[in-house]
Amino acid sequence: MLEINNYNSSILHEISFSLNENENLIILGQNGAGKSTLAKVLSNLIENDKVKLFNENMNKLDDSKRALYINYIPPKLSIFDEYITLREFLELSFVTKVDNEKIDEVIKLLNLKKLEDKYCKSFSSGEKQLLLLASSIMHDAKITIFDELTANLDISRLKEVYEIFNSDLLKQKIVITHNLDLAYALKFKILFLKDGIIEFFGSNDEFFEAVNLKRFYKDTILKLDNHLVVNL
Amino acid sequence: MKILLYILSFFILSISPFLGEITLHFSDILNSDSTTYTIFWDLRVPRIILAFFVGGILALGGLIFQIIFKNELITPYTLGIASGTTLFTAISIVFFPFLYITISSIFGSIITVLILYFISKQINKNSIAVSTNSILLTGIALSYFYASAMMLVFYMSSLQENYSIVRFTLGSLDTVGFTNSLIIVAVSVILYFVISYYRQSIRLLLICNDTAFLKGLKVDKINLVLLVVVSLSVGVSISFVGPIGFIGLVVPHIIKLIYKKSADKLIFPVFFFGGIFLVFSDLIARNLNTDSTIPIGVVTAFIGAPFFIYLLIRRNKKA
Repeated sequence: MLEINNYNSSILHEISFSLNENENLIILGQNGAGKSTLAKVLSNLIENDKVKLFNENMNKLDDSKRALYINYIPPKLSIFDEYITLREFLELSFVTKVDNEKIDEVIKLLNLKKLEDKYCKSFSSGEKQLLLLASSIMHDAKITIFDELTANLDISRLKEVYEIFNSDLLKQKIVITHNLDLAYALKFKILFLKDGIIEFFGSNDEFFEAVNLKRFYKDTILKLDNHLVVNL
Repeated sequence: MKILLYILSFFILSISPFLGEITLHFSDILNSDSTTYTIFWDLRVPRIILAFFVGGILALGGLIFQIIFKNELITPYTLGIASGTTLFTAISIVFFPFLYITISSIFGSIITVLILYFISKQINKNSIAVSTNSILLTGIALSYFYASAMMLVFYMSSLQENYSIVRFTLGSLDTVGFTNSLIIVAVSVILYFVISYYRQSIRLLLICNDTAFLKGLKVDKINLVLLVVVSLSVGVSISFVGPIGFIGLVVPHIIKLIYKKSADKLIFPVFFFGGIFLVFSDLIARNLNTDSTIPIGVVTAFIGAPFFIYLLIRRNKKA
């Protein structure tokens, strides 16, 4: 359960919404609309006292308890040490006890076996995204926010990520994306941000009605036979 | 390679007290009436202990600073902590000669690190991440400020005081008896203990501050504790031996290139080889057949810089 009440800053304005337990969300919006900032506010990376997690004020929560509740996956893997291997990174991703069997399972699931003992810094951008996804599964927070996780993935990898988002492997998910096909296929609730203001907050079906597509994307997106088509 | 390095290190440690302006013989060191005995136990052994542990502190301090600020160029020296310590030492030589030098040195290092910490917090109010560029620039600005203040102190000092300050800034491992060495050993033990205690947190800091925060780590608190403990240890070391540069920058890099492991696994090797590096540099400084010992800082830079460049070139070729 997540609730934000009237958050204001120079980027975001009058942000209020709430999600029930296990209600997933997709955040859409143009570049610079404030999507990542919103995610950082929700995870307290930008400190504030407007967010409530499971009816407790996040800012008053103990740090270790907050870590169990919420996790944020950044768009790019940022790692300082050159010599941390994939397996070590995954070990560090646990907030509770390290579970080696779970690491093995996820490495198998995401086809990362050949990278297991390689240094994370040398990975390609797509491999880094997969590593971040794997680490979110290890962390296993009650709510996980993904910021543009799919940006550098090829189509087959995108499909894998879709399957994982669509499964119960992770608990409650908030997905920031520019990929409307993914947003449409996942059927999650939608929040649309424009210039720091929530322009739309409602069901997936409603958002993808022709009227709304026209309202938010002008004539660049059309829905034909239940598929989205970009009209350039 | 690692085993070879350890063997070489123990060899250096064991021959080091016998070589110097006066070469000592092994047979005399237990004969308490000989001069050899006095030189060996009152001068050479304390000096090597001092060199080893100061080297260890400087190398480990460099490693920890690089982790905290996520920048491989940062050491207590590049951030102006050494110049702060030197300035306050000079001030106490000139204006407060009755004060124990160590106290003003420590004061200098702590005040510098606190200035740096709070300025960087001020710049990045909204984010947990400390911007390394701004702190590096702050450090450089502070160094310039200290340099001018140092000029002022020089200007106001007498010839005798002037000379003491210059000797201090050149760095020297001269010591008589075990008092200084034992203080440094104690400081090293505390530093090593604190760092080992926070090892798990340091592992998370190796990824990035945001990630560490999301895993529930009290990033600000741990960074501050580590900063203060490292600065205190470096401050005490500088007060005894003067500002010896280069070890904190070079040794962690060399060890990383040799071991190819994440920094949390390198705490012991960095400390140990930092110590050996300074003992070895001192061995050279004492044995170059000049009239007096060459300033130790000169030797560390002369050995360290070329070796460092060699390793960098080799690394880039491989990649």
